[in-house]
Parts: sequence; structure tokens; C-alpha cells
Amino acid sequence: MDPLVAAENLTKHYGAVVALDGVSFGIFDGITGILGENGAGKSTAIKIFLGLLQPTSGRAMVLGKDASRNVMVRERLGYMPEHECLPRNVSAAELLTHLAEASGLPPSRARTRAADTLRHAGLFEERYRPIAGYSTGMKQRVKLAQALVHDPRMVFLDEPTAGLDPAGREDMLELVRKTHREFGISILLSSHLMADVERTCDRILVLQSGRLVQSGEVSGFTAETESVFIEVDSGREAVVAELEARGVTVRVERSGLHVDGADESVYDLVRDAVVAAKAPLRRMAPRRRALAELFMHEGEEVEP
Amino acid sequence: MSAASADERGRAVAAEAMTGAGSGTVFDIGYRSYDGPREGRARARMAVFKDGVRTALGLGRGIRAKVLPWTFIVLLVSIAFIMALVTGALLRMGGPDAAAHMPSHSDFYGIASIFFFVFSAVVAPELLCPDRRDGVIDLYLVRPITGSDYIAARWLAFLAVSLAVAWLPQFVLLVGRVMGNPDPVGYLAANWLDIPRILASGAALAVYTTTLGMLVAAFTTRRAYASVFLVGLFVITTPFTTGLASEIGGTAGRWISMFNLSNIPVHVNDLIFNDVSGITRGAPARELPAWVRVAWYFLWVIVPGSVLWGRYRRPIS
Repeated sequence: MDPLVAAENLTKHYGAVVALDGVSFGIFDGITGILGENGAGKSTAIKIFLGLLQPTSGRAMVLGKDASRNVMVRERLGYMPEHECLPRNVSAAELLTHLAEASGLPPSRARTRAADTLRHAGLFEERYRPIAGYSTGMKQRVKLAQALVHDPRMVFLDEPTAGLDPAGREDMLELVRKTHREFGISILLSSHLMADVERTCDRILVLQSGRLVQSGEVSGFTAETESVFIEVDSGREAVVAELEARGVTVRVERSGLHVDGADESVYDLVRDAVVAAKAPLRRMAPRRRALAELFMHEGEEVEP
Repeated sequence: MSAASADERGRAVAAEAMTGAGSGTVFDIGYRSYDGPREGRARARMAVFKDGVRTALGLGRGIRAKVLPWTFIVLLVSIAFIMALVTGALLRMGGPDAAAHMPSHSDFYGIASIFFFVFSAVVAPELLCPDRRDGVIDLYLVRPITGSDYIAARWLAFLAVSLAVAWLPQFVLLVGRVMGNPDPVGYLAANWLDIPRILASGAALAVYTTTLGMLVAAFTTRRAYASVFLVGLFVITTPFTTGLASEIGGTAGRWISMFNLSNIPVHVNDLIFNDVSGITRGAPARELPAWVRVAWYFLWVIVPGSVLWGRYRRPIS
């Protein structure tokens, strides 16, 4: 099966700054997350796929076409930018109708699609109010709705939860899941939040400083990022020795010890090691590694 | 899940919300994928054009968006209406000789051009600046439309509005003069050439102000900056070049007079009507050959137009 989105040795330089450095990957049907810190190259990659930017070298194909050379392929693409992109003095209904027409839909169909899409985005009641009066959450919904109004085959969402409170974030992620599950639209979602990607995506690509450092199924990926945190009052060295004697790799930090993995067997090993070391246990808890730690770890592994 | 199965699911979840005699039934038809026509780039260009016309006139926007464009439209039509009323009254009361010295079609743009320039300065930035300031341009350029399509559609939209604003008062004046004449059919037969002249000179004015207005608006995201700069460009160059041209005199003075930007389309208007407007009567540039004045006009349309196109040819993010 051909990928919906494909990058081949994709490179983008902004002067001396390397935004993307020879990245290659394929994206298939489903929800794929691009995870990376600010400046990792996520937005640059999305803009190249949409034809908004030209790569310095390499190829970016979407639905089998280069969107910068073949503008017609954009009829089947949607884009939700990270930044502000909504006019202030028009209503959501008018904006979506207009953008549906700008995607090639006839006016009568555009009006119907705008109303339908706003209903699905949860903005049906407010659709005739000027956008300037909308809350941040409502504006994010309008941004998502405009990306879907022309029924694209593939949609690119750049940090869709930016600026949202926890409840708004959960609502937005549910809307994203619904977009694929019920609408049948494939999604490429960029985020710097591991939790967002983990809860929403089927697959994940991790970018760091413009390089692809890891990719795979989210289920396997998140298992790798989980660890058990152990804090003891004394006898820390003895605990480390006992754990290493059991074949476990321990990371020692000032605050405590980390053991990779979070299934029951890891807890059993830790329990046995602490008992054997006769160390007074203060805390033993699951912990997900911070994104920065993950990048550093993965980055170190892939360095030649 | 495929879109087709989503449709089936949508139908499957159709639910009766209310039961009982006389009550209605509400159906949740779920998400329906779009399988209708997609009209591509032509429809996209038309959408940007239509939106440009609506934006220029404030249609579908709040009352504040309508105030400025419609004030100038009413003002320009009022000037023509008053001219028509006065001319008609003089024709009726004093005959053709009494009305002979009244300003006519050839004088209209000379008289009203200042309002027309300010109209362009106020409205042209409205079509470009907010799209870049609010980031809306990115929403256009990820659709089946290029930067060139976008700017061409916006330029044409403002040109269409400017043409209407340029022609409407002239036709009000024409109707007034025809109706005010004791022999309307005879007047029309004798002056029918005014109609193509009105169309041509109005087009020359509209193309010029549209292009310059859009060019300035393309280089700032702040409407106020663009408007102030344009008003300055059109209005301030008049006393500056007039004073300098009369001080220096000769050929150099004539060329300095050519930099009076508000006179450039009026020189073309004079050539079209084979007459001299009040504001160009004393301009040294009038002594330059006709072809120089026409070429100068085209230079001031083609060069700014090319810069404008170049600015949007590549996506602006």
C-alpha cells in the first residue's frame, strides 16, 4: 500500500539553521503523531507537505503528488495551523462557506457543508456570531472545522491543543479521534505533548533538531517511555547493586532511581531488590519520562 | 472506519426523539462525506474574488466596515447628482448657452478625484492587510489556489468595485443631463460618444488607483499605515510637485509635474475627452506630448502591478 504522505531525504535550511536534516518516513491511513520540542521541525515538515514551503532538497509527496507543483491535490488536503488564522469580523458560518468554495465546492454545497461541519465541531448554535467574540476553545474548533469543511482525504493538525485548558484539550482530542473514527479522514497531528499523542494517535514519529529519532506504533512506544521511580531513605548503592545483579538497568538521579518498564514483573524485581538490600523504601511509583529526557536518551543512541 | 461505513452508521443511529401522535421525529444522520462536484481552481479564484468585493463594500460585516466605503460612494454620487441638478436647471431656465460653462463629464474626475483617491486609500488595505495580519492567507494557500491566483482575484475584486464607483456618478450625471435637456433624444444623439469616453476614462482611473492601492497594502499588515501612506502619496505630491515645477520651469519642470500622482490618470482623462480638466489646466506636464503622458500612465500601472504580483508569487507566511 502506498503511503498517503511520504518524505524522502527531506531537508530544509533557513540560512545556517537546519530545520529538517535528511528525514525519510511514510504515513499511512490512521492518526499519526509528530512529536518534538519547539524547533524540532514539525511545522516546517507540515508546511512542506502542503506546498507552503519549498524543501532545500529531498522530496515531499502527499496523496502521490508534490503539493507545491500540483495545487489540485490540495482539494483533498486540510490544514489547521498552530498560529492565529481566523478573521475577526465574520461569523464561523460565513468563513467556512467561503473556505469551502475556495476549496472548489459549488456555493450551495459549500453552505450545506459549512453548517454540517460546524455541527460536528460543536459550534452549530454559535455559527452566526462574529469570530472575534469566541473563546480560545471555540476558535480552535473553528480552525479544525475549516480544515474539514471540504471533506479532505488527509488533514494536517499543527498543535491542535495549543492554548487550551485541560477540559478543552480533552474535547479537542476527542474531536480529532472522531474525525478519523467517524469521518474516515487520515490525520497527521503535530504536538510537543507526549500525552496528547499517546491518547490520540496510532503511530508516532519523533523529531529532534530536524532529525527523525524514532518512529513506530504508539503502544510499543509508550511502554518504552514508562519507568518505575524508586526512592529509599538509605542504602541506595545496595539497591542499585541488587537490581543490576538481577539484570536490570538502573538510571541513578539525585532524586532517586529509575528502572525502565512498568509491568508487574518490574515491580516484583524492585521489591525483591529492596528487600535484599534491606533499604527502607520511601516511594515506589510509575513515572513517564519527560519528553526532554526521552529525546536526549534516543538522540544519544542514534548518534554515530 | 471508511467514510461509507460512517454513513451507514449515521443512518443506523437515526433515532426517534419524540414519540406519540402528532409529534415530530428528529434524526441524527451522522457525518456524511462529500461526494458532490469539486470545481477546482476556477471556483477557488471566484471565491476569493467574491469575498474581495464583499470585503471592499463591507457586505456581511458589521456596520463599521460599511461606513467608510459607502460614505465615499454616496459622496461621489452626490457630487454628480448636484452637478446634474444644476446643469438641468440651467438648461431648463436659460437654455444650452446658460449651461455651456457648467462642468461636464470631462471635468468630473478632475473635481472628484480627491475623494476617489481617498476611497482607494481607505478600502484597498482592507482587502490585503487583515489576511496577512490574521494569518488567513495561509488558509487560502493550502487550498487549490496559488499566490498569483490570490492576488489576481483580490486585484480584480477591487478593480470591479472601483469601476462601479468611478462609473456610477458619471452615469448619474449623464442621466441628469439627458433628463434635464428639453430634447433628451437630441442631446443623447449629439453626445453619445460621452458613453465610451466615460467607460474608458473611468477604467483608466480605476486601474491606476487599484494597482497603487493594492501595492502599498501588500507591504504592511496595518491598514492605517497603508491608508495614511496612500493619502500622502496622492495628496501631498500635488502641492510639492506643483511648487517645484513652477519654480524650476522648462522641460525639467514639466517632468517634475509628471510626478504629481493624482494628475496622472486625469491627463489620460483629458486625452480621452479631448478636453482639459480644471486640475490639469495649469500643469506644466500638459505641455508634454500625448504619447508621453499615456506611456507615463502605463508605466505607473505596469511597474507597481509587477511588484505586487512578485510579492505574492511566492507564498507569504
